[in-house]
Amino acid sequence: MASISLKQIQKSFGDVEVVKGLDLEIPNGQFTVLVGPSGCGKTTTLRMIAGLETVDSGVIQIGDKDVTKLEPKDRDVAMVFQNYALYAHLSVADNIGFPLRSKGVNKEEISLRVAEVAASLGISELLKRKPKELSGGQQQRVAIGRAIIRNPQVFLFDEPLSNLDAKLRLEMRTEIIRLQRRLGTTAVYVTHDQEEAMTLSDVMVVMKDGLIKQLGKPDDIYKKPIDVFVAEFVGSPKMNLMKGQASAGNFSAESGFQIKVDPKLSGEITLGIRPEDIKITSKDASSTQGRIEIMEQLGPRAILTIQSGNQQITAVVDNEQLKQVMDKANISINSHSEVHHYFETSTGLRIN
Amino acid sequence: MTTLNSTRFKPTWTSAGNSLLILMALSVFLPFLWLSLGSFKTGAQLNNPALLFFKPTLENWKEVLRSGVLESAYRSAIVGLVTVSLSVVIGSMGAYAISRYKTGGSSTRFGILAAQVLPPAVLVFPFLEVSYKFRLNDTLFAVIISHLSFVLPVITWFLIGFFDAAPKEVEEQALVDGLSRFQAFRKVVIPQVAPGIGAAAVFGFVLSWNDLFYALILAPGNSATLPVKIASFNTFRGVELGAMCAAILVAVIPVLIVSFFIQKRLVRGISGGAVKY
Repeated sequence: MASISLKQIQKSFGDVEVVKGLDLEIPNGQFTVLVGPSGCGKTTTLRMIAGLETVDSGVIQIGDKDVTKLEPKDRDVAMVFQNYALYAHLSVADNIGFPLRSKGVNKEEISLRVAEVAASLGISELLKRKPKELSGGQQQRVAIGRAIIRNPQVFLFDEPLSNLDAKLRLEMRTEIIRLQRRLGTTAVYVTHDQEEAMTLSDVMVVMKDGLIKQLGKPDDIYKKPIDVFVAEFVGSPKMNLMKGQASAGNFSAESGFQIKVDPKLSGEITLGIRPEDIKITSKDASSTQGRIEIMEQLGPRAILTIQSGNQQITAVVDNEQLKQVMDKANISINSHSEVHHYFETSTGLRIN
Repeated sequence: MTTLNSTRFKPTWTSAGNSLLILMALSVFLPFLWLSLGSFKTGAQLNNPALLFFKPTLENWKEVLRSGVLESAYRSAIVGLVTVSLSVVIGSMGAYAISRYKTGGSSTRFGILAAQVLPPAVLVFPFLEVSYKFRLNDTLFAVIISHLSFVLPVITWFLIGFFDAAPKEVEEQALVDGLSRFQAFRKVVIPQVAPGIGAAAVFGFVLSWNDLFYALILAPGNSATLPVKIASFNTFRGVELGAMCAAILVAVIPVLIVSFFIQKRLVRGISGGAVKY
């Protein structure tokens, strides 16, 4: 177990600068998730921590040790790849025991530890098989087993759940959390899926264009996104964002959509409202009108796509609210100004 | 399979296809038949290729044994094995470097085959000159070196594709799991491309085994390899066709046997299912 510290990390591939002077402190024992759209530099950052990519400039420390120039094998990190990267010519037992064997641990101890790890992952009965005889989920477990067997300083996960089907992904997600809590090993996890990032992370790092946009607890980032990009990226369905003018507590969007906002605001702003913060009621003359275009029911709640004038708005409503408006095409939209997010239109930065 | 055939293809097409296959098989098989028969015929009988039933003679085979064909086959095997072993060791490392690290840029990928474009006659005389200078003429060593000039590039080129197809993550995983780059190459990458190496080795061996030109010029005497020995039945008194037939069979049969046993292994990809995309 160890903390990780990245100082002014810079990396280019040819003319393309993919990581631009990144600073990041990853505390000991925490689960840190790097999230961002593809090409944001998150995987490159992870690979630099692993030692699979060289660093153009900057310093990487694991614990107190400067590992910037060390080979991957000398960094004491374990990694789980998206495609599992199992050794096809070795059995499951040999795959899991591989890191110990390369360290020169004796055979009896290896088989003991392999049995232990396999039991903890529920794959004891698969030990004699070859990787190609396993399902995706089983392969994933083997890859995780191989990562945990030697108690590394750091776990690195590179989108390990992307190749699994939705149900298995949720299952493995909880398993990874449980495992990390139990072992208490520092973990860095890369994903492009913000939902996965929200659920897994102690600390979430939102990246864009080779830089960190925002870092913090997932809930804090969700509640107070630092700018329009983070606001839109984190949260599903996406936050509703509208450019427009505010004056005297009224906001009128370019599309003509109107809503009450914080009276202190004035001038050009971008208003953001989370879908779940949109309240809908049956038609009422005093508030903004809208028409339900699409209704996606998810059991306990539903996602509505509402057209109000030229403005399209996404709302997530619970069944109670939905019942009130179920049979009506036309509805009223409301939202409390306390839950609004305000951004400067020119810079995209948060105001409130 | 029968149900599959009958539902997917009309019977007329199936039988047409079968006839075509039989025809092609015959075109391969007939020369062997002719060779086999020829090796048991006397000189006079050989003048009648259509002669199928005759009293066989072992004279040709005796001649083959007398003239040291087996010894030359042994020399050919040594040349082939040494050439292929060196080529596989050097070629796999070269191919790996070209595949992973783009060593020499994209032109190297095909550039390594450049020597193949030259007629062998361009290369053989420098080889001869150098082998004379080093007193290596008429040695297997000279033949091996010359065979390396075409087997090594072909094997390297052949293996580049296999290394390209081997997933990079697996060796990166090995690096993280505590291996050095060379260990990862040896213990993780090589097993993945093993079928490719097997195929390349067989291919390279056949190239070396069949070479007449370099061997004839560099080692025509006591170190004659099998093709040179076979050619020597073309004497100034005329072609000793019967003995030549027998000697050719000696040359062909080992290759056939090896190909037969290895073909399944060549086709099977060991890494199937290891990496999910």
